[in-house]
Amino acid sequence: MSSRIGGAIVAEDLVKVYNGKVRAVDGVSFNVSPGEVFGFLGPNGAGKTTTVSMLSAGLRPTSGRAMIDGLEVSKDALEVKRRIGVIFQESTADGDLTGRENLEVAAGTYGIPRGEGNRRAEALIHQMQLSDAADRFAKTYSGGMRRRLELAVGLVHRPKILFLDEPTLGLDPQGRAGFWSFIQKLKDETGLTVFVTTHYLDEADTMCDRIAIIDHGKIVATGSPNELKDKLGGDVVTLKTAEGAADMSAVLKPLAGVVSLQKQDGSYRVKCASGETLVPLAVEACARAGAGVTGVTVKRPSLDEVFLEYTGREFREEEGPSATDRAVMMQRVRGALGGRR
Amino acid sequence: MLRELGALTRREFLKIRRNPQALFTSLLLPLLYLLLFGQGFNINPAAALPPGTPPLVAHQVLLDYFRGAPNYYSYFAAGMVGFVAVTATLFIGANVIFDKLFGIFKRTRGTPAPSAAVFGSRLIAGSAQPIALAFFVLGLALLFAHIPGLSGLRVTAQVSALGVVEVFLAIVLLSLMFATLFLTFGILLDVPQTYFAAVNLLNLPVLLTSDALYPWGSMPVWLRTISQYNPVSLAVNVLRETFFGAGQYPFGPGVYLLGLLGWTAVLMGIAIFLVSRALRPLE
Ligand SMILES: Nc1ncnc2c1ncn2[C@@H]1O[C@H](COP(=O)(O)OP(=O)(O)OP(=O)(O)O)[C@@H](O)[C@H]1O
Ligand SMILES: [Mg+2]
Repeated sequence: MSSRIGGAIVAEDLVKVYNGKVRAVDGVSFNVSPGEVFGFLGPNGAGKTTTVSMLSAGLRPTSGRAMIDGLEVSKDALEVKRRIGVIFQESTADGDLTGRENLEVAAGTYGIPRGEGNRRAEALIHQMQLSDAADRFAKTYSGGMRRRLELAVGLVHRPKILFLDEPTLGLDPQGRAGFWSFIQKLKDETGLTVFVTTHYLDEADTMCDRIAIIDHGKIVATGSPNELKDKLGGDVVTLKTAEGAADMSAVLKPLAGVVSLQKQDGSYRVKCASGETLVPLAVEACARAGAGVTGVTVKRPSLDEVFLEYTGREFREEEGPSATDRAVMMQRVRGALGGRR
Repeated sequence: MLRELGALTRREFLKIRRNPQALFTSLLLPLLYLLLFGQGFNINPAAALPPGTPPLVAHQVLLDYFRGAPNYYSYFAAGMVGFVAVTATLFIGANVIFDKLFGIFKRTRGTPAPSAAVFGSRLIAGSAQPIALAFFVLGLALLFAHIPGLSGLRVTAQVSALGVVEVFLAIVLLSLMFATLFLTFGILLDVPQTYFAAVNLLNLPVLLTSDALYPWGSMPVWLRTISQYNPVSLAVNVLRETFFGAGQYPFGPGVYLLGLLGWTAVLMGIAIFLVSRALRPLE
């Protein structure tokens, strides 16, 4: 990893060992530029939340260094906390307080004067479309409203850098789209840097400028979504020829950009650098060889494939509940208690 | 610092307002004691004297037995005020632990609010509750004295303005001291069961080594000696001296208040040391 000075978020060989035995993060380094949206992907228990905690001054690394906005996190924790906003994986809003009160109290904890804090709370309530629910107890909020409130609370002190730990967990498609369009807008308006962990790979694909995939505490791949997909060996083109046509394998194989070819019945699955370039060549070649192409599909590999390629396909048995499980469980506990205490 | 403290304190008081059950629950036990135990357990040592004992002697026996109080209920009611100041602080630490379980504490820890504001806000709200309850119990016991058929707290000494201030200080210091103690437990511990075990382990011996509930005359000498250093006794002594006169006490209320202040200062010192470590910006 290049160590560009002035990165908004810099991780240098971060290591976290829990209780002297669980190596949750094992030498992670990366550099997030100001204004970048950086996605941090990985299976359950890979070490995403642990990394976020170390970067956001919540957890002291066992070794290595975290820098935020040019400040060393372990030396300047309080100042770092002023510059960052964190949306935790689990819900942190106070159910006994209204949404508005949650926001006003949060503003106060950053030393924002009461009047100014109340104004910001009102503005965020409006932006997050919580106006109707603002004066209801947060325990009565739906999952989506809760997430929006979490985001509002994380933004009340106008951070330069935002950490989002599975921010859209449990949101419906509209909720997720709305959430991301808001982040996008914020980013365009304020140059916010965003560090996001998510299990929704489509989200990461469209929203992130760059992605790192972490597994067993180590980064296994980094790059823009397109770079990562290209590394997998490009597109998959499926060609169908008319019934009874001759075998076209020998015709297709030598075409420019073809990586591999599989024949199944009357169709050919061709892995190639670029589908768009191959298709006209292949159709023409087949036609010249006397076989009419009756169907074509081009499939770009999705980030799902990239993810599975790097982190393996087997289902992971976790030792103990993952943070996601814990978050879901706590939501149930809250529900069962009705937020009562 | 003040803004952070203000915001967090506001939050604590909102929580109290939203959970009146908690206030009610902490009131229930002292109320039962005042209404049932105190009314039913009205021992009278003078009743055991041989017939023909001069009334003056009988009266003196009573005063010795209850350290100047005219009857057990009056003696006991002053003790109950101390008792409630201790038991009503239990919630303060439990609330922190529940806030940890619900992720709310994590949010606060993520902000740059100084740990003094986190600690202070909870201390203010958490000791306001027992202070209020202690005065409520005191008022109730005084009221009972005027209801026919009920025993109540009968004030037999001239209470000066200074006496009122001393009673107030005793209640505030005692509440503050136990709030500090239990809040520290709450911040250091993460599991409700551990917290309640620790608190109960502490609560009972503290109350039972004080002279809050036992008649002074029935206490063995060794227990009297221990109880003199017990913070609950120190506070209750101030109340009893004010209400029934200081004749039976080796020291004036000022000395007991000083002792209470000492306890509070020591516990606060320990708490600040432990809490500022536990709430360091980076754990
Ligand atoms: N406080 C802790 N004590 C001990 N082990 C922990 C602790 N927190 C996390 N771990 C372990 O560290 C590893 C990484 O956990 P982490 O929460 O960082 O994973 P994650 O990538 O965020 O997972 P998820 O997708 O489920 O949120 C896991 O094996 C987890 O069990
Ligand atoms: Mg996680």
